[in-house]
Amino acid sequence: MSITRRHILTSTAAGGALAAFAGGFSETGRKLVKGAWAGERPDDTISGNAPKPEFRIDPATGAVEPTPGQIVANVACLGCTTLCGVRVRVDVERNRVLRVAGNPYSPLSTDPFLPYATPIEESFRSLSRLDEKGLQGRSTACGRGNAALEMLTSPFRITTPMKRVGPRGSGRWEPIAFDKLVEEIAEGGDLFGEGPVEGLRTLRDLKTPIEHASPELGPKVNQVALLASVNDGREPFVRRFFNQALGTINFAGHGAYCGGAYRSGSGAAFGDLKAMPHAKPDLQNAEFVLFIGTAPSNAGNPFKRQAMLVAKGRTDGVLNYVVVDPVLTNADNRAAGERSNWIPIRPGTDGALVMGMMRWMFENDRIDSRYLSQPNAKAATSAGEAGWCNATHLVIRQKGHPRDGRMLRASDMGWVELDEKERYGEKDAFVVLDPAGKPVAHDVLDGPAVLFHDGAVVTPAGDVSVKTSLTLLREEAMRLELRGYADACGIPADIIAGLAREFTSHGKKAVANAHGGMMAGNGFYNAFGVVTLNTLIGNLNWKGGSIFGGGRFPDEQDGPRYKLASFPGAVKPSGTAISRPVPYEKSSEFARNNAAGKPYPAKAPWYPAAPQLTTEYLTSGLADGYPYRLKALFLWNSNPVYGIPGLRAAAEAALKDPKTLPLIVSIDPFINESSAFADYIVPDTVLYETWGWASPWGGVPTKTSTARWPVVEPRTQALPDGLHVQMETFLIALAKRLGLPGFGADAIADMDGKLHPLDRPEDWYLRGGANIAWLGKQPVADADDRDIALSGVGRVMPVLQATLKPEEWRKVAYILVRGGRYQNQAEGFEGDKAVHKFLKPLQVYNEAVGTAKSSITGRRWTGTATWMEPVFADGSPVHKHHTAEDWPFQLVSSKSMLVSAYTIAAGRLRHLHPDNPVGINAEDARRLGIETGDRIRIATPGGMQDATAIVRHGVMRGVLAVEHGFGHREYGARPHLIGGHSQPSVPEIGAGINLNDLGIADPSRAGASVWVDPIAGTAVRQGIPAKLERLAASA
Amino acid sequence: MDRSRRNFCLGAGAATVGAATLAAAPADAGAVSASGDAAHRWAMVVDVRKCVGCQACTVACIMENDVPENSFRTIVSTYEVTEQGKAGSYMLPRLCNHCEDPPCIPVCPTGATYQRRDGIVVVDNSVCVGCAYCVQACPYDARFINHETQTADKCTFCVHRVEAGLLPACVETCVGGARIFGDLKDPDSTVSKLVREQNPKVLKPEMGTQPRVFYIGLDPKMQGKVDGTPTLWRPAPHADKEHA
Repeated sequence: MSITRRHILTSTAAGGALAAFAGGFSETGRKLVKGAWAGERPDDTISGNAPKPEFRIDPATGAVEPTPGQIVANVACLGCTTLCGVRVRVDVERNRVLRVAGNPYSPLSTDPFLPYATPIEESFRSLSRLDEKGLQGRSTACGRGNAALEMLTSPFRITTPMKRVGPRGSGRWEPIAFDKLVEEIAEGGDLFGEGPVEGLRTLRDLKTPIEHASPELGPKVNQVALLASVNDGREPFVRRFFNQALGTINFAGHGAYCGGAYRSGSGAAFGDLKAMPHAKPDLQNAEFVLFIGTAPSNAGNPFKRQAMLVAKGRTDGVLNYVVVDPVLTNADNRAAGERSNWIPIRPGTDGALVMGMMRWMFENDRIDSRYLSQPNAKAATSAGEAGWCNATHLVIRQKGHPRDGRMLRASDMGWVELDEKERYGEKDAFVVLDPAGKPVAHDVLDGPAVLFHDGAVVTPAGDVSVKTSLTLLREEAMRLELRGYADACGIPADIIAGLAREFTSHGKKAVANAHGGMMAGNGFYNAFGVVTLNTLIGNLNWKGGSIFGGGRFPDEQDGPRYKLASFPGAVKPSGTAISRPVPYEKSSEFARNNAAGKPYPAKAPWYPAAPQLTTEYLTSGLADGYPYRLKALFLWNSNPVYGIPGLRAAAEAALKDPKTLPLIVSIDPFINESSAFADYIVPDTVLYETWGWASPWGGVPTKTSTARWPVVEPRTQALPDGLHVQMETFLIALAKRLGLPGFGADAIADMDGKLHPLDRPEDWYLRGGANIAWLGKQPVADADDRDIALSGVGRVMPVLQATLKPEEWRKVAYILVRGGRYQNQAEGFEGDKAVHKFLKPLQVYNEAVGTAKSSITGRRWTGTATWMEPVFADGSPVHKHHTAEDWPFQLVSSKSMLVSAYTIAAGRLRHLHPDNPVGINAEDARRLGIETGDRIRIATPGGMQDATAIVRHGVMRGVLAVEHGFGHREYGARPHLIGGHSQPSVPEIGAGINLNDLGIADPSRAGASVWVDPIAGTAVRQGIPAKLERLAASA
Repeated sequence: MDRSRRNFCLGAGAATVGAATLAAAPADAGAVSASGDAAHRWAMVVDVRKCVGCQACTVACIMENDVPENSFRTIVSTYEVTEQGKAGSYMLPRLCNHCEDPPCIPVCPTGATYQRRDGIVVVDNSVCVGCAYCVQACPYDARFINHETQTADKCTFCVHRVEAGLLPACVETCVGGARIFGDLKDPDSTVSKLVREQNPKVLKPEMGTQPRVFYIGLDPKMQGKVDGTPTLWRPAPHADKEHA
């Protein structure tokens, strides 16, 4: 290959379109000779079947003329987890959504977005040709968001409740009446002729311990678990049922197989390992952004907002950025020249890159010492900083000391006397060295403290060896030479140094960011390292730096109008969740093992530094019954079998066996790879049929709550009371049958103590809307009749008026017509600083991490960012088990800009992008004689799949790149038999491969497992060992 | 792979048909060509630096215009470009260029294809016989035979929306803000300014079609001028400025 020769390959999207055309040519030629009207006659001679525009706007006067029969409503999209505000155009009579674009009030779809007070009519003008407003104010839906409406009318939608006939997973179902469904799940019985199944009435035992010998596991009700997906604005309702009314502790979302490793690593830096706070780059003002394992205009969250700001920033603004990833994506754009760059890296080695950068920063004094040296918030403010961190706080580092690894505290120094409860708590100050080197409480200094110290301090109990947090981090960074880090990650040392120099050349206006690419066998530390880069330049809360985001207007809290968080009889769930997110050392198992002289290993890993994890539910939890057996599993729009690498192999047998797990209930609009094993499927509503209060995941500087309200009649079965079968009506009926608190009559109190029912979804969501309306400095205004008419909200006015108080319904309508409540854009920053700040100290050294022990080895983890190669649960490196000789390739997953895990049935997307050929580096391909289009066989220690190859320069050597969203076995890939009728057969839905079917188990563990990060417990999909062979040339 | 390879086609019609026996031209062919307002000249400028390749335009067009399955009036060609060992992504939105001198019109035997007075090139599907001569004649592969109607099909600049005072579907939903639509006869319009000030390029200028779809940022990467970019990424020259 000549060095100047350029290769242009069609990438996946265009390639897919090409492949799709091929079939049409002969057909076209054949019919061509028939002449005019060989086909169907369209509506209009020029515009064909395009429906009438949603409204007309006179380009001269701006007069707005609505189109009779259509409404344009502002709601939320659910095509991916960003949950953008969109405007949905509905043909009212046909109850059909015609098209979707962006909601101009929503920061997730528009920049700049409209001031909140803008009347709807004006919002229409803002989208039009009038004064070219629509070019400046364009509000968009992405490709997927444009097509997602297909899910509403998909022939694969489940619309009536179903009960399995035949064995689990056999694909045969009978419809079941709603009342009968509720009865069977509540009361149990011999439901399938396979023996007795306990119903929820029996399972709701709040008193009897699961195991008398291990009371910390909690009561028997914990044997009921709920697996959710993303909070689509309805999760608080589901939590009310499962946590507060039923009383189980087991409720987990999809984070552990989404971007959980990033969130955990970020949580370590932000000092909260359960809520896992995270910040995002202020893309509107940043000068340099380093994206590591995240692709800002290809995927990620918030997808569209990031994409529009990156596009704008690299073209009209000041943004330069580098994407570090094994795979080149649309995050790059060569037309933007040097503004946009891609650096390939070996999978799971981001920690080496960032620790190498830190080494260079320490060696060249390119850390922000002014920020780092402030020991408390007050000192930071006087220094003009926007936040602070614990870089100067002293950590006890003395082998054998009972508090080795803990922060040195005022009580250790004898400065305060606190009782055992308060000691080492918030009242017990940290210790720093003042500029003179004298130990003082961290909160007494008005200025900087000593940044680096390695020595002893005198305490009443004698000399204690201590180091500052930053000293510990520097030691970790200096562990390898730059060359060593370069060897590990495959990025040359001079590039690592160059990145560090660039990153430290913009003051606070540089940011490092990560996301799903962190899902490796060391993702926790890789992510902790990326976030620590930001700490070292002190960019948090700064304009152009990393911003925490404005958050939302919470609906489900107590007040200001209705108490939605608390109710009489609410259960506070207790015990140990299945995934063991608590210290093993506090368990009875540990006490028994310790007494027997063998405290470690635990039977399976515990995750004290993580939230609840779906990754352990179906392996150790379900298959091995550890720490206790599950008896009923509810899946709400959840699909772990498709989404967790290696789970199918580890858990399929257990899922199929009613003796292992007696009851599986899925609440879902479709049959997915997990709900295919259910005993019952309760159809849920889809997209714009549903109420809810969604919010952005991050990246929006202002407060944002996105409204979901039904703009079309749900297509699920209607119930006698006019409601429809969906998640809410099912749970309400179930709660009422079981007599659970918090549902039915008098379930919701207003702030005057007056009681209101929870009988219908509106009883919950509209009262949540009233809470949102009254939050903030002052309540929102009242919607006027013109707004209500133009926005289509008239459709739900009767239920607003019937449910809410006279002073409330116009305010909630005001929110609904605008598709949410949005703080004005101008309120995001005050001068150079973000209005919504993260105020607690960032953790250079995280004490909780640094003192947590692996429940397998009993060894402590490192408390700062560090470079650790990918490992299994016992700490053994992956390559010790699966050598590079046997497995010369590594699989990585990348996100698609068009297809998400559950949109494969949308034909318009599939036609555009029908398949996911596996990316292989051009040099590797040449060596193996593989060409684009060849069939290849990929094997891992966990499985084997045949795929199509696409040869690319944009893939790191030794890497096989698999795009997520394909390789489905359900969603229509196989037709199910429902009441004797077969679903349509669309085998194209099964096209391509699913990387997760190639995921692997943890060979260092006994029992069922999938490979997870040992601290975060998050699924590993980046860096799965693999081998490759060529099968055949392209057909 | 050779970069001269045609790796893009819109619709299902590109590079297809042979000779076909034509139905007779309807008597009223050409009678409709007086539509549109000559006070406007609609055009598009595509700033490819802002394109993120999300295909929002592609799908919005399909949804808006009920384009038949597996056919596309617009699409974003997505390329992987490698220069001197450095790989990058390149996105190129494609659609009918609504040329000033459209080669699709003279070949139409029935007058079904015509140019409105506002410059939009359209097909009257009640006059078209589906011979596909226009499909062959278009240098931009922008036309195809609609397999439902069996007539020629292509981008209309969403003329039904433009006439309603709105923007074409692809423009209003362009996530990166790459697609800019407006009136070349209005000197203050954004497209007029961009055409005046940014020296945008067109596709296949040598064909003399005078496209009215312009591209900013198109030229250097896609017309063969290869700059000597070093391997991988290097820090920019300004990286040495003082640490704040």
